[in-house]
Amino acid sequence: MPDAARLTRLVPYAVVAAGAAYLYSVAANIRYAARAGVLGPDFWPKAILALTLVVCAYKIVATLVPRRRGEEAGVLEDLIEESAAHRGGPAAAPAAESHLWLLLGGIALSAGYVWALPKLGFFTATVPYLAAFIALGGYRRWGVVAALSVLGTLLLLFFFMKVVYVSLPLGQEPFLQVTLLLMQLMGIR
Amino acid sequence: MEGVLTQLAAGFVGVFSPVNFAALAVGLVIGLLIALLPGLTLVMGVVLALPFTYKMDVTSAVILLTAMYVSGTYAGAWTSILFRVPGEPIDVPLLWDGYTMARNGQAAQALGWTLVAALVGGLVAATAMVGLSQPIAKIALTLSTPEYFAIIFFGLASVVSLGGASLANALISLFIGLLLATVGVDDTYGAHRFTFDVPLLADGIDYLVVMVGAYGLGEVFTRLERGFRSAPLESVGTARTRLPPLKEVLALKGTFARSSLLGLLIGIVPGAGATVASFLSYGTEAQYGRRRSQMGEGIPEGIVAPQTAATASVGGAMIPLMTMGIPGSGATAIILGAFLLHGLQPGPQVFQTSSHIVYTIFASVFVAVVGMCVIGYFAVRVMVRVLEFPEAIISAYVVMCCILGAFAARNNITDVWLLVVFGVLGYLAERFRFPVSPLVLGAILGPLAESTFMTTMISFGNDWTVFFTRPVAGAVMALALVALVLPLLRQLLHRRKMASR
Repeated sequence: MPDAARLTRLVPYAVVAAGAAYLYSVAANIRYAARAGVLGPDFWPKAILALTLVVCAYKIVATLVPRRRGEEAGVLEDLIEESAAHRGGPAAAPAAESHLWLLLGGIALSAGYVWALPKLGFFTATVPYLAAFIALGGYRRWGVVAALSVLGTLLLLFFFMKVVYVSLPLGQEPFLQVTLLLMQLMGIR
Repeated sequence: MEGVLTQLAAGFVGVFSPVNFAALAVGLVIGLLIALLPGLTLVMGVVLALPFTYKMDVTSAVILLTAMYVSGTYAGAWTSILFRVPGEPIDVPLLWDGYTMARNGQAAQALGWTLVAALVGGLVAATAMVGLSQPIAKIALTLSTPEYFAIIFFGLASVVSLGGASLANALISLFIGLLLATVGVDDTYGAHRFTFDVPLLADGIDYLVVMVGAYGLGEVFTRLERGFRSAPLESVGTARTRLPPLKEVLALKGTFARSSLLGLLIGIVPGAGATVASFLSYGTEAQYGRRRSQMGEGIPEGIVAPQTAATASVGGAMIPLMTMGIPGSGATAIILGAFLLHGLQPGPQVFQTSSHIVYTIFASVFVAVVGMCVIGYFAVRVMVRVLEFPEAIISAYVVMCCILGAFAARNNITDVWLLVVFGVLGYLAERFRFPVSPLVLGAILGPLAESTFMTTMISFGNDWTVFFTRPVAGAVMALALVALVLPLLRQLLHRRKMASR
């Protein structure tokens, strides 16, 4: 395996190990009134973090030191590979084309929606979010997108506030007035 | 036994009450539709349905979710057989013989075998579930914390051993899940752990948020990165089911028996589920079946084995949930969540305090199995049309259900932020081949694992050997260790086999 590829493979384990080491130091400083002969509240998380560090260290060493034997896969993975090899079936789908900008767009859109939700209220935030997500996913019949976004949001608003009694975010002024008007029209108190 | 039958009969009456029956019918239809759609798994479906059950009573809520779980093991077979598109990972083995039969002009017969297999597997497992639950619940009453810890440890070891491309990755995933479960105020000391002065974190991270994020949002992000490209489908309007003659069904009684038993046992093992059952059953048939040399050429055994086992695993998975309160799979964890949301803790006591609820749920499994087959027989042509729906629209609504599910659990926007974080984590896990199931099961079973471990340590003076010296705990721990060593042994044997060639 080329050095660059090997180093790339190390990244997730190095990140997890660094996180585990930091959290271990946090766990070591958990404050509590110790009782004689009883394990403290730090024991369990510290044990988990120590095990995480051990496994990460193993993976880092195993990646750095080239060896002949393959990876210890789970039993299901073995079964899938064996069965696929015998039957010639598509156990593993062919590598799909990657659209990183779509993913980043989806994450940014979702994060923006969560940020806007308490400010704009459920209806005002959800209609553009649904429309944008559908468009981002590649569906561009704008009339259908608009109808699905507005009607879908109204339906969800009605179901969760009127039927399931979940208090969805109302938003701040002036968007609060929009939500209150819709609630009034739908008979939601 | 007579008492069990009487209670089951009362349970059937309960299932046919208008509200419960409506919940069952809705659960079946939605479960079938979700199983049909590639990218939406049955666990995701059950997760997304949970917030819609908040205002239902516990029996109706669990009936709806269980019906979705049962039917989720069935409809994905249709797309495997008709279009070579497995709706779920469970359905991959159905490609090998099911799709081959369809290509040979026997699609209707293949769908018929799927229906019979789901019916037989489901009913056999449901019968076993009813017969075994009360004796197991009685045994569970005699168990103490070391035994409970050993059982949970076994479940965690199984999920690590069974899933994933790498044992080390599965372990890391599990540890992250267990660590997430430690966030919040500790029960014994009241100490704040990893709360970082965020008030909501003091209440801990709800495992439902972890599940919805990692399974639901994470999967949507993964598919979005691939551009929501689905395989082009042939005409969907010609699908129909033709049942096989009884003589042919009886000729496969050995396959039905083996697969039902395998599915039931795998369902009982915490950590294993319908996917493992389906693959293992196909593999068993390919190794030991009467027509093993013809497997893969489009014979009914190749359909019956995986489908029977997959549906049978549902009845098996309900046993540890109902008798010990231990969810062994993603779907049963959600069902446990529904129980807890309504203030009912499944376990041995529930058979004494709320047996009418238990047996109504048990009866609903029988009705669900029959119901899904009836719907499947008559509505296959209509239901597969859902595949013509654009994935971008379905995914947008899946994301909305994820967000609403996370928000509705505690009415707090911080949970929705956590959902997005776990969605990204779920995507990264998929990207770097870290299995998600151990993470989720770690988050679910973590609190129970810690509390049983700490209680044992307090009760037995920090003597950890108690997990190995008590007979039941020791036996289960030994099984867990075998489960952990199994992948290493398999690899060793594989290497020897390759070397001898």
